[in-house]
Amino acid sequence: MSARNLLRSLRLGLAYTGLSLKVTYREPAAVLFVIAFPIIFLVIFSSLLTFDLAIPEGAQGNIPTITFSQYFVAGIMGSAIFGTSFNLLGNSLAIQQFDGTLKQLAATPLPKLSFFMGLVGTAIVYTLLQVIVIIILGVAAYDIDLPDAGGWLTLLWIILLGVPAGCVMGIAITAIIPSARAAPAVLQLPFVLFQFISGVFFTLHSLPTWLQWVSGLFPLRWVAQGLRSVFLPDAYRYAEPGMGWQLELAALVLLVWIVIGLVVARFTFKWDRSG
Amino acid sequence: MQAAISVSGLFKRYGAIEAVNGVDLEIAAGQVYALLGPNGAGKTTLIEILEGYRERDAGEVSVLGLDPQRQRGELNRRVGIVLQRSTPMEGLTPREMLSFSARLYDAPMRVEEALEFVGLTEHADRRGSKLSGGQKRRLDLATSVIGNPDLIFLDEPTTGFDATARRQAWEVVRGLTDRGATVILTTHYLDEAEHLAQRIGLIKSGQIIFEGDIEGLRREMRTDTRISWQPPSDIDTSDLPTEWAGVQRRLDGRLSLPTQTPTEHLSRLIDWSRAHGLVELPELQVERPDLEEMYLELIEDSSALASAEVNA
Repeated sequence: MSARNLLRSLRLGLAYTGLSLKVTYREPAAVLFVIAFPIIFLVIFSSLLTFDLAIPEGAQGNIPTITFSQYFVAGIMGSAIFGTSFNLLGNSLAIQQFDGTLKQLAATPLPKLSFFMGLVGTAIVYTLLQVIVIIILGVAAYDIDLPDAGGWLTLLWIILLGVPAGCVMGIAITAIIPSARAAPAVLQLPFVLFQFISGVFFTLHSLPTWLQWVSGLFPLRWVAQGLRSVFLPDAYRYAEPGMGWQLELAALVLLVWIVIGLVVARFTFKWDRSG
Repeated sequence: MQAAISVSGLFKRYGAIEAVNGVDLEIAAGQVYALLGPNGAGKTTLIEILEGYRERDAGEVSVLGLDPQRQRGELNRRVGIVLQRSTPMEGLTPREMLSFSARLYDAPMRVEEALEFVGLTEHADRRGSKLSGGQKRRLDLATSVIGNPDLIFLDEPTTGFDATARRQAWEVVRGLTDRGATVILTTHYLDEAEHLAQRIGLIKSGQIIFEGDIEGLRREMRTDTRISWQPPSDIDTSDLPTEWAGVQRRLDGRLSLPTQTPTEHLSRLIDWSRAHGLVELPELQVERPDLEEMYLELIEDSSALASAEVNA
């Protein structure tokens, strides 16, 4: 691809992102869902679970106590990242495959790269929106401690790697969705499963070791673990299975998933399943 | 004239069904060409091979000098496609949709021009969800022509329209050829083909069974008078005169013979009926069907045209 074509694809990718965002924000139900989802979960879980976290074994010195809310902010953010990228995107893609929208799009000179950029761009914007809502609510209602400068940076790269990883998984899974109507069900099963085994609702060490291993194969575990490094004091890294935040490993796993997902999507993605 | 589309020996099979069964086709640039045929005749499969959506099993296909299977990216810049099903992004207005579409092409129309062309200027800022069926269809058309394509595919552009909306759509299609584009239209309405197309291809069971202009179709189909009657169930019709080999049993049970010498055949038929002790042939008719009737009959049974050709 020439530099000129690449530039054109990037420009159209941004334009397509803008167009998709416009379509969705004019759909009040969709916006409400995106914003309401983290709020509802944060409120419900923070009211149900009011205990402080156990001090992790092996941690030294003066360990600050941590409310469940502080822990859960990281988890619900991971959930939000995966929900918008994998769940929401997989669902809207499946609808567009079956109603002919993508068939029409495939007949235009819109570069494929721009189209996929648009999907990821839209998911990133939604994720940022959710993250902001979670942080505002967390600080206002649950006295959440905000991260330091390094923490913000980590948060940013986790979003920028985690969202594309979820997106390519969402794109790839459309291959096994049999109809637009079946999409929510097909997506919901892995989504719920990933949340339960990735340390979103429960700490990882409350899971059997083999399940910890299984969760380690999938992106959400690493997204959630990275986010805990942002929102929890450093001593709590002893509560992780690897006794550390393992940020390098997290980045590596997410990158590998992006590559695998792209390859799978490349061979299985269908522009038209309306016939 | 240069060919916009040239197809030879095209085959496409789905399981046991030959959806396209040996099609040769030549479509001149600047024409409106109507591909006419009943549902399931292979229209859509043929069109979608030309558009680049489907891969062919065998044959040569050239669309604007390109192979739609291998050079689809290049083809997409020069071709506009209006699909059967309309899928506008409902949250967007025609103006927003067209502004985005225009960015995809090298030398697009202005948005205002495209709106005016399809008659949507008044509704340019109305949300897609608030447009009527006909307006959505016109937006589809505007989206497909804003790139100034050399070739436009219209797949059943007026199905489900009322008479007024159809007339309006036809005006727009005529406007396309005024701009110098070639238009390939699929339809199952004969009058639509009659109003719009310079050439007509009749497709049935994956084969083109007629090709020519509407006058040619009329000549081909009108040559024959039909003698038909309802045979009583207790009469054996297996010993009909040998000339009656072309007789067809229609869906309502009538026997029907297309012929150019009706008097001669009628006299033989009367001899035959007397021999069987039938004084009156029930519901005997001698008639010359019009084009519409011929076409409807063709949809029921393609042998109507085949036998018409034999007799012609």
